Amino acid sequence: MTEAEIARAVAALSRPAPEPSPFRCAAGRALEALARKARVHVKGVEIIALRNAVAPERYLRNFAGFSFEDQIRLLESRAALLGLGGLGGLALELLTRSGTGRIRAADGDVFEESNLNRQILSSPESLGQSKAEAAAVRAASLNPACEIEAWRRFVDRESVTAFVQDSQVVIDALGGLPMRLELAEAAAAARIPLVTAAVAGQTGWVAVVAPGAASPAGLMASAKGQSAEIVSGTPAPAVGAAAAIMAGAALDVLRGRRPALWGKMLLFDLADAAFETVLL
Amino acid sequence: MRVTLKCFATLGRFQPENAADFPLKPPETVERLIARLGIPEEEVAVVFVNGVHAPRETLLADGDRVGLFPAVGGG
Repeated sequence: MTEAEIARAVAALSRPAPEPSPFRCAAGRALEALARKARVHVKGVEIIALRNAVAPERYLRNFAGFSFEDQIRLLESRAALLGLGGLGGLALELLTRSGTGRIRAADGDVFEESNLNRQILSSPESLGQSKAEAAAVRAASLNPACEIEAWRRFVDRESVTAFVQDSQVVIDALGGLPMRLELAEAAAAARIPLVTAAVAGQTGWVAVVAPGAASPAGLMASAKGQSAEIVSGTPAPAVGAAAAIMAGAALDVLRGRRPALWGKMLLFDLADAAFETVLL
Repeated sequence: MRVTLKCFATLGRFQPENAADFPLKPPETVERLIARLGIPEEEVAVVFVNGVHAPRETLLADGDRVGLFPAVGGG
């Protein structure tokens, strides 16, 4: 089917969106059936629908914060997500549901019981299983428009350049400080913005690093002694807060907007509701 | 001369009772303040003063807001 034919088919199966939305919408199952018939990816059908002012119903609540143009850009976008633990699992959840077109996600680890307090991809049944495989299954089950390229291995100094390649944003959702500096350097070398976050206890930070600018990983590397999370742990609320802010910033970059945290670092402490945004 | 002080995460154990209105001993730099609080220098990863990442030799002034942050890398 040509794009014009798909557009006509979308128009035929669309209906007015619920008030007060001033546009038409189309159900996911109908769009998926059309994609199978047209032999194109669901993402392609969704993009054609949006170009013709028809909203896939699953994105209705993305508007008006998103424009149709934003949603198209997001569906055409490519993200690289390193780490599929507490931060990365939640980031994957939010990016996939929002309609990110392609996510390359890597983690060489398997689930263990101490992950269950915060890692949304883990469950008692998944202990011992690959985090990357769980991510691929979860993303596919949430949104067929999202293409997931799951790397079931740890990204190291040798593979990090290939990992960030062709992406529009790099998301540092690593656990612990090792590799964060190398990831920041690889993103800088490839001129890709980096969204990065970490948590210890009720405290956390989130930053957006412009290509080549100062990164929190550099600051953290200057401190000696052990990283605070080893003592303070990683409880779910702080991880969730950091992951949500991180995903929001990544979605801004992916739809061509400058996030509020561009060149800045948000430091928070949920224990006393302290939120400080500082220039890096 | 007083500053507002916030010690994040594991540095919280060094935060004084009067952190919201902490008296300076001018001329006092960030580095000297960290020492006076009894914080091992190497435990501080990020210092910010009035919302800007600040070097250790920054001279503190009345009313400054000072934040001290350790290395935090958990996910």
